[in-house]
Amino acid sequence: MASADKPINTDVPEKDVFALHFLQSLSNLRRQNTFNSPEKTNDRVKKIKKAAYVSMARAAGGTSRLWSRALLRRAAKETNKVVRFSRRKKRVTWLRRRSNRRDPVEEEEKEAERLRNLVPGGGAMETSKLIEETAYYIKCLSMQVKVMQCLVDGLSPK
Amino acid sequence: MDNELFMNTELLPPPPEMAVHFEQPSSSSAMLNWALMDPNLARNSPPQDCFMWEKSTEQQQQQQQQQQSIFDSALSSLVSSPTPSNSNFSGGGGADGFIIRELIGKLGNIGNSSGDIYGAPMNGNVSRSASCYGTPMSSPPPMMNRATPLTEFSGDPGFAERAAKFSCFGSRSFNGRTNSGLPVSNGKIISSGKLTRVSSTPALKALASPEFAPASRPMIPAGDPAPKLPGEFTRKRKSVSKGKSKENPLPAASPSPSFSKTAERKDEEEKGGKRRREDEGDEEERNKGNDTKAAEPPKDYIHVRARRGQATDSHSLAERVRREKIGERMKLLQDLVPGCNKVTGKALMLDEIINYVQSLQRQVEFLSMKLSSVNDTRLEFNVDALVSKDAMISSSGSRVHESGLRLESLSHHNYNNNSQLHTTVSSNNMMLHSPMKSLEPSILTRGFTHLPTLTQFTDTISQYQMFSEEDLQSIVGMGVAHNPNHESQSQNMKIEL
Repeated sequence: MASADKPINTDVPEKDVFALHFLQSLSNLRRQNTFNSPEKTNDRVKKIKKAAYVSMARAAGGTSRLWSRALLRRAAKETNKVVRFSRRKKRVTWLRRRSNRRDPVEEEEKEAERLRNLVPGGGAMETSKLIEETAYYIKCLSMQVKVMQCLVDGLSPK
Repeated sequence: MDNELFMNTELLPPPPEMAVHFEQPSSSSAMLNWALMDPNLARNSPPQDCFMWEKSTEQQQQQQQQQQSIFDSALSSLVSSPTPSNSNFSGGGGADGFIIRELIGKLGNIGNSSGDIYGAPMNGNVSRSASCYGTPMSSPPPMMNRATPLTEFSGDPGFAERAAKFSCFGSRSFNGRTNSGLPVSNGKIISSGKLTRVSSTPALKALASPEFAPASRPMIPAGDPAPKLPGEFTRKRKSVSKGKSKENPLPAASPSPSFSKTAERKDEEEKGGKRRREDEGDEEERNKGNDTKAAEPPKDYIHVRARRGQATDSHSLAERVRREKIGERMKLLQDLVPGCNKVTGKALMLDEIINYVQSLQRQVEFLSMKLSSVNDTRLEFNVDALVSKDAMISSSGSRVHESGLRLESLSHHNYNNNSQLHTTVSSNNMMLHSPMKSLEPSILTRGFTHLPTLTQFTDTISQYQMFSEEDLQSIVGMGVAHNPNHESQSQNMKIEL
């Protein structure tokens, strides 16, 4: 049920949090023996990317956001891990399907579809909630990009 | 998001309970209950914290001072027992001042969720997410609302009784509200013959009863201005802004309109439902013509007024509500996405947003590629430290929400000395104290050897002026001797704890 709270909360934690989580995940990656082998660069990239996203999801408030949940769930599925989520309303999915079936022909809905494909977990959200999640997602993404940029700059050889 | 709202409401009921009891004296007098509430308040520490914060910011508000004086006269007799620990914060006079200010804050802040009251101080005082209330304050709501209602009812001696009468309407539904027991105010309201006002007062009263004491606030002005001017009241209701994001667009000519409007908005929030109370007419048109739509669709949670000349079909109304919600959030996005200001229209803006998100994701991918090809030797030192810390954490086995701790640790930015590391660690982390101690020496020895590299690391990064050096050291240093704080926001804390 979409809640009508007046101030939409789009606070994102500081970049320190993001940095910390990202460094953590990177360190976890380092532990893997096969990581530093130069042949499997593509795999490394993928892993780093995944680590970035997961750490971002965790840094951005764990499971309080739908997209972070979706990200974590996706990641967990790949690694067959069990992810513990707080109570999740299944009704959201149901509501969204019902409402979206009503007007798939609207221009706005097409755009919303594209957005849904982009934002993780977007398929289970109503449009209004989707937009809010997108806002938060954008904030977190930009924060993550900043952190990563900084790391890269810091670590690249002079 | 729902959880956030839930969290906000969870914490709020205890503090506003005071005001609730104040306005709903079922058996005893309002004064007595109010006094009774004081020791309760003193005992109730978590709400008290919020009161502290609220007070500390309210002190910054100048309007509070004048309201306090007004209210002091009205309520000084009521407050009997002082609240002890409030004296720290009340610069403007002990227990009375605190309670009065609290009540003022509640009364005046109808238009905003009560989270806002705490939200503003939160953002001011606690920058991180360790606050109890995470709701942001986009901008402090028009504080002028606070000053106005007090002048009205400060002089009303019998408003407590009226409030009591009002409070007897305990149900929430707007439909079929009878006006039993309130001939005076409701009579005047009914006599004007406007359906809306009839339903509004019970609605507002209905809000008063259950959870939120702030809900009771709409009651008071509803009761008080009612004898003054029903027409005014009508205008108030009609002038409720459509979008949630709108502040007070109306010039707020008279205090009561804006006050009631905020009451309406508060009403909206507290409904918490998808549907909310809206007044969607053209505002100027409404104000001039004083036209009310008599055909208000009877709903349980929404009062959506149909526009002039538009269908009053419930479907279309709901549709309009939905569309406005979406529109409001798009505005939010507009601020976020650079270069979206020029573009108007939902479709184009959505295009922009989609492009932006895609570009961000591509950037992440590109940067991760770059990272993978970076020289990894530097990171390895960090990694070792982090690894040891990870081992520690897994041994402790508990997932501690240490956002508060985190705050402390980050505030201790002096990681140059290991002694300080000791102190921060020991002071912050009680739970992991024993394993920490056992592993500390080993970690710190490793930390010693790695410190030069770490400082180099932090130096290079700080050159890019993204992090302050202290921040970086704290981050990396925290990796050395501290746990990763699962920086869940406070809402999460509530949920998971």
